[in-house]
Amino acid sequence: MNRRTLLGALAGTAVAVPVLSSCASGVTSLDGGGSTGGGSASSKNGVTIGTANFTENQVLGYLYAAALEAAGVKVKVRPNLGTREIVFPALKSGDIDLLPEYQGSLLTYLQPKSKVAEAGEMQNALTLALPSGLQVLPYGIAEDADCFVVTRATARKYGLTSLADLAKHNGKLTLGASAEVKTRQVGVVGLKGVYGVEFKEFKSLDSDGPLVKGALKKGDVDVANLFTTDTDIKANDWVVLTDPKTLIPSQHIVPLIADRVADPTVRKALARLGNLLTTAQLTELNRQVDKDKKDPEDVANTYAKQHGITK
Amino acid sequence: MFELFKNLAKWLTSGSQWAGTDGIAHRLAEHLQYSLLATLIAAAIGLPLGLLIGHTGKGAFLAINLASFGRALPTVGLVVLVFLASGLSMWPVYIALVALAVPSIVTNTYAGMTAVDPDVKDAARGQGMRGHQVLFQVELPLALPLIMTGLRLALIQVVSTATVAAYVSFGGLGRFVFDGLAQRDLVQVLGGAVLVAVVAIVLDLGLSGLQRFLFRHRTA
Amino acid sequence: MTIDWSWIGDHTDDLTSLTFSHLQAALTAVFLGLLISLPLAVVAHRVRPLRGFLLGLSNVLFTIPSIAIFVLLLPISGLTRTTTVIGLTVYTLVVLLRNTVEGLDSVPAKTKEAAKAMGTRPLRTLLTVELPLALPVIMAGVRIATVMSISLVSVATYIGDGGLGQLFTDGFQRDFPTPVIVGVVLTLLLAVVADAALVALQYVLTPWKRRRA
Repeated sequence: MNRRTLLGALAGTAVAVPVLSSCASGVTSLDGGGSTGGGSASSKNGVTIGTANFTENQVLGYLYAAALEAAGVKVKVRPNLGTREIVFPALKSGDIDLLPEYQGSLLTYLQPKSKVAEAGEMQNALTLALPSGLQVLPYGIAEDADCFVVTRATARKYGLTSLADLAKHNGKLTLGASAEVKTRQVGVVGLKGVYGVEFKEFKSLDSDGPLVKGALKKGDVDVANLFTTDTDIKANDWVVLTDPKTLIPSQHIVPLIADRVADPTVRKALARLGNLLTTAQLTELNRQVDKDKKDPEDVANTYAKQHGITK
Repeated sequence: MFELFKNLAKWLTSGSQWAGTDGIAHRLAEHLQYSLLATLIAAAIGLPLGLLIGHTGKGAFLAINLASFGRALPTVGLVVLVFLASGLSMWPVYIALVALAVPSIVTNTYAGMTAVDPDVKDAARGQGMRGHQVLFQVELPLALPLIMTGLRLALIQVVSTATVAAYVSFGGLGRFVFDGLAQRDLVQVLGGAVLVAVVAIVLDLGLSGLQRFLFRHRTA
Repeated sequence: MTIDWSWIGDHTDDLTSLTFSHLQAALTAVFLGLLISLPLAVVAHRVRPLRGFLLGLSNVLFTIPSIAIFVLLLPISGLTRTTTVIGLTVYTLVVLLRNTVEGLDSVPAKTKEAAKAMGTRPLRTLLTVELPLALPVIMAGVRIATVMSISLVSVATYIGDGGLGQLFTDGFQRDFPTPVIVGVVLTLLLAVVADAALVALQYVLTPWKRRRA
């Protein structure tokens, strides 16, 4: 590289950083622009369902799709888009219309300091917290909550049955979860605030994903952030730490939808599904995808047929 | 946008950002460790291979097309595959980075060897030098500039791609990109990207400066 | 680690559509890269001061990790194919710019002078003399850019796109090697086929190289 190119490289660096920054010009978060509301709701032009990057959300997405298609709505599913940090802005900007969500997690995402825990209360809190253009439909009976899990051996060694017990061993245990758990209420922040727990280390892995489960098995982490519908918990004899002070809020599954497509047809179809799908059934569907390696779409469609949603 | 740039400058210069296991200094050290070690391993594999092919002339097809193949290998796929096979360890990271670096080292080493004037090699043989003497005392020194270029290019590529370590929970500067994404912290994402770019550029300029110095007496 | 062959049989439709989606993203990026890099390369080649700047800037951009570029583009173009293509185009642009400038550099000065002496205007010289002679080096760049692009598309799976890359995240989440292996093999095959096609294209586009004296 001759001198001219060297100077060019330096000039290039000086330019590239602002160029990169201007990529996100005027934006200080990952959120895109907000959607504009207005106009009456209609699902005539189809509904795009997005799902986050874990099995259960994909199963739910395809279940929603089956329910809507049975009601005559044109549906497109965009599976496995990413974490909530990627998917929620996509909903706001209109890239997707409908998302299977979880009451508690969604609320703490919108209002990190929220301490609301009861299902009905949360429904209203969500309605208040959501930006205009988005709404939550009534929650279904199925629930999937965050939980904090240790191996049977760890539980025995430290005498752990509840989250409060963790505070007896501050500075000794490692927590594994996806990165956002470090900074949120249902995570390091809340565990400290409500239970006085301090971890020795936080490892950025994933929540209820292969990384954190692998780490838990290997002993790289002591406590893992999983989800209650994960059949691996029972299969590995892991212990779910109880939550006496209700740090972890109710997590009924709730459709998060853009106002513009939330017409009566969609509402009724999703309400029907909401009253039908139980936690046990959802857990079983997850198992079929994760263990039997079936496709989320097939598993959802079979369920829909078996339970009379589709003919 | 100026706001973002200002926050970025603050992030890059604040003392607290640099300290601790999650700090810039530690992640930088990890990133350099992955990159240098992977390139070293790749050189240990690629250099002998390239020298052999260049010296004997056999396997030229492999040397020429290996770079294409290496370029086509999807790093994400390779990392995931090794992860599924061997679990949570640094193997996926190192295998993916070495697989990325070896092809360009082989190709550039081979190119350096073929650039050596055949007359010079003949003259050496004519003087009675044996095969390995020709290789190490004539070909290798003459091919050195291009070989070094190959090593330099491989290192730069590896530095850029070592962000991959964050896919499977390890450290390095990729951690800032992934965590920034998860925590909705665009400044962190940008910071990680800028740091990787700066490291790559500094290494590139440094090594090419070294190259120019080492070969300053050589004519074209 | 075993392959579930029945999974492959059951998913040929999905695999086909993922492959097409993957190819489309890569080719669009190469095409856009060419569109932008050609005029830029001519400028870099002709205007000395800008040359160092443009090449330096593109070197810098090349070092930025692809995952970061995709994530940084999200607020601008959303969770769409556009984001993927823009991200990929940054990289194809860099490769194509470098190679096109090099190609133009490799045109012998005497040839250009001869054209000038014949009265050919600069634009015509560019189109009928310089570019065709630079073609081999440019095509080498197109080949590199295409193969690289095909490999990079899978990174976009982290932003919900990714073509065959989606097989990687799927296999990762479910501890299921089959889709991952299939994804790697198909990506490599795609690259080999694309590269071969471009070699054939280069052969067609440079008839003067075929004519032996």
